[in-house]
Amino acid sequence: MGGALEIAIAGCGAVSAVGADVAGLREAIRNNTSGLRPVPRFTGAAFQSNIVGATTVEGEDPIYELADRALREARHEAAGRLENIPPARIGLVLATTKANIEALERLTEDRPCAVSARRHWQAQWLAEDLAAAHGAAGPVQCVSVACISGMLAISQGAKLLQRDLADAVLVVGADCLSRFIVAGFSSLKALDPLGCRPFDRDRAGLSAGEAGAAVVLVRGEGATTIAGWGGSNDANHLTGPSRDGSGLALAIQRALDAARLKPRDIGYVNAHGTGTPYNDAMESLALRTIFGNACPPVSASKGMFGHTLGAAGVLETIVCVVAATERCLPGTPRLTTPVMAEVLHVPQTGARVRHSLKLGTGFGGVNAALVVRHE
Amino acid sequence: MSNIAVVATSSVTPADVSRYQFGSRFGRMDPVCQLGLTAVEALGVKFGSRADIGVIVATNAGSLTTDVQYWRTRNEPGGVSPSLFIYTLPSSVTGEIAIRHGLTGPNLCLLGGCDQVLGEAAEWLRHGEATGCVCVECDVVATDAGELAGVPVVARAWAAFLQRGGGGIPLTENDRDLRSLCARVRA
Repeated sequence: MGGALEIAIAGCGAVSAVGADVAGLREAIRNNTSGLRPVPRFTGAAFQSNIVGATTVEGEDPIYELADRALREARHEAAGRLENIPPARIGLVLATTKANIEALERLTEDRPCAVSARRHWQAQWLAEDLAAAHGAAGPVQCVSVACISGMLAISQGAKLLQRDLADAVLVVGADCLSRFIVAGFSSLKALDPLGCRPFDRDRAGLSAGEAGAAVVLVRGEGATTIAGWGGSNDANHLTGPSRDGSGLALAIQRALDAARLKPRDIGYVNAHGTGTPYNDAMESLALRTIFGNACPPVSASKGMFGHTLGAAGVLETIVCVVAATERCLPGTPRLTTPVMAEVLHVPQTGARVRHSLKLGTGFGGVNAALVVRHE
Repeated sequence: MSNIAVVATSSVTPADVSRYQFGSRFGRMDPVCQLGLTAVEALGVKFGSRADIGVIVATNAGSLTTDVQYWRTRNEPGGVSPSLFIYTLPSSVTGEIAIRHGLTGPNLCLLGGCDQVLGEAAEWLRHGEATGCVCVECDVVATDAGELAGVPVVARAWAAFLQRGGGGIPLTENDRDLRSLCARVRA
């Protein structure tokens, strides 16, 4: 568990299936729209579903493009907080699961593969190049812990500030769609052929997605601050979540303790909500363990832009930021019959939320919880 | 870092794998997980309060070798291997270590952060995020993967178990990475 007193989110950037910036994401939240759609390159026997959350980014090095665009937008919004900080005091934390894995596809199929694209197959070099391009000459970290990578990257960024190793940290999560990943999830029978439907009674799996999402963290006050985080491992199974939700509940309790909050202080939960039968069932149990019958409104965003893997934790934390600033709790796109009464079908406007809880789980039995405070 | 104790360290190569008894799942793991688990086994530590013990892994090559092996299976009947796909996450080794030893503390996997593992572990211990931390540096790069990615062939792992207080050698500011820590402890 960890608490980050007065660590503010000074800027956000997001490129996803619902738009090339945070404005696009905001519109999708307001209108409860889904960016999932069929993409021809994922059609065929190797793929269980061609419905994915694709962006418009193309080229040989798409992950760099996604991360770079998100960072530009986040830095632009945070310009006022960054202008007096020397580059040596600006750090960068990258979250990714597979970096530019498409380079492997290209190299093994004798397709063109630029030097930079091959270099960015190795995530730490991608992090170094992004740091150089964005004026971050301070500490650089590259976090890769399955689907909680983005949430851990935010907590790692907050720690760099707490430890006075930097005065600002650029946190960026990125992963891109590839045949490598979509075929892999297909082989596990983890994709919903109809597109993912988190927390739906008839949910049948996830939808792969891609995104670049960035936040700028600074020490001091702000409209949104990181109040605490917690992590745990189920120590149970490499790919299956614990059946009783105890591991995720432990992570939530650790985050609440770090933030010095009680469950009743949480006004909104953005769930991991992959849409797989076991994940959502486990998450429901973890929420019941912590909140009992007083669970705050819950929504899941992966029906909007898919499971964006290493970007998910950052992108969905930005959803929490947008929800609070717009006073619009997001709905759960593609949901028909919820398995929990607290899951929001459609956006709920007018709600003022003081604390949001972002949840994440992943292969390897990992769990993470992040408490975000809104002024 | 004076109140942080280095309880045990280890350094292993693939030749050490057969020295330890693992369960039936071990044979299905990828070489990174096998070597990482071996490094932790070589610590010879019986973990106590497992709920508060975390795992931090650093790796330069990540799952490079398994990525190549997995992607090669796309041409086989039935398509890509699901059992290899799950090991194409560089953090799989943290999960395998947690499962084998029942460790429910936090996890972290840093790519290229081999000089950051001890500092991160010390922070966890200092701030109460964990009472003990298993630290591992592990890299396995097979010849074909190394040629494709342009990185050197390697197969080596180091591990240490750190605790706040208690018996052991004090961790110092000069302990930058697991390799040098292991060398210092051996000396």
